[in-house]
Amino acid sequence: MASKEDCFIVSVTGDCMLVCLYENKIRFGGMCFVIIPGSFGTENVLTSVLASYGITQIEMLLADIVKFGGDRKNLTAKVFGAARSNIYSDGKNLSSSQVKFIKEYFESENIPVTSSDLGGDYRRKIYFSPVTGKVFKKILKNNSESSEFLRMEKEYIDLVFHNKDKIGTYTLFDGDAANDI
Amino acid sequence: MNYIMIIDDSPTIRTSVAYTVKDLGCEIKQAENGADALEKISIIRNEGNDVSLCIVDVNMPVMDGISFVKEFKKNDKFTPVLMLTTESEEDKIKEGKTAGAAGWMIKPFKPDNLKSVVEKLMV
Repeated sequence: MASKEDCFIVSVTGDCMLVCLYENKIRFGGMCFVIIPGSFGTENVLTSVLASYGITQIEMLLADIVKFGGDRKNLTAKVFGAARSNIYSDGKNLSSSQVKFIKEYFESENIPVTSSDLGGDYRRKIYFSPVTGKVFKKILKNNSESSEFLRMEKEYIDLVFHNKDKIGTYTLFDGDAANDI
Repeated sequence: MNYIMIIDDSPTIRTSVAYTVKDLGCEIKQAENGADALEKISIIRNEGNDVSLCIVDVNMPVMDGISFVKEFKKNDKFTPVLMLTTESEEDKIKEGKTAGAAGWMIKPFKPDNLKSVVEKLMV
């Protein structure tokens, strides 16, 4: 979500990433939750719908910023999360591929990353001020609450995998040629 | 020579769309917003070439996708315009249809879907 309000946008991340974007000219910004559901490089955005799904959350935030009058040429990014929580018994490690992906993505978009804290084996609580672009971070202890959080986050990541067939719907407008898939 | 015009403010999206439609027998031209696209289309046509299809994002700075379609359709009723966007609200889709778009695809797109829709629209 993007906002021009003098407030804090707050969220917690474990394996996923939180991306904060700030429009330096108009001075507002937004934050979104990002998961790259697999071991992808940005080159896979060309061929894999799952890789391109990862950037859609950022695309939606960018669209909100444009609606508020912002321009991506004035943006800077801050990125947090991509922890290694070992929640996957099959040894799937999303952390290193996500870190690589997000760095390459912002390089190709010419959006400078001014601050990041990625990896580790702990959750982070992120407070983002959309009017100043400042971020305050709290490292959360690994306790019973964290295992519940990581379970919920794993459910979210699995949902992303399971919903992959529902994305990419289209409609053609002319007469009988309308298609919804 | 015929061109497919890809209009999106994201270089990553432009590259992925260009990669998907590169084998459909057209040259590819990219623009970063509606105004940039109108200028490039005018140059293409002045050089004796033509545009077979435009693939356009909705939310872009300078000139958004819906404004582009309205402007483009003033002088060209026949060349199809496909909207490719994260926007999925019914009202926005109707706005695109009213402006003159031929279709609406929601990001992220499946490469095979995009390819087959582009082929259908260019027939």
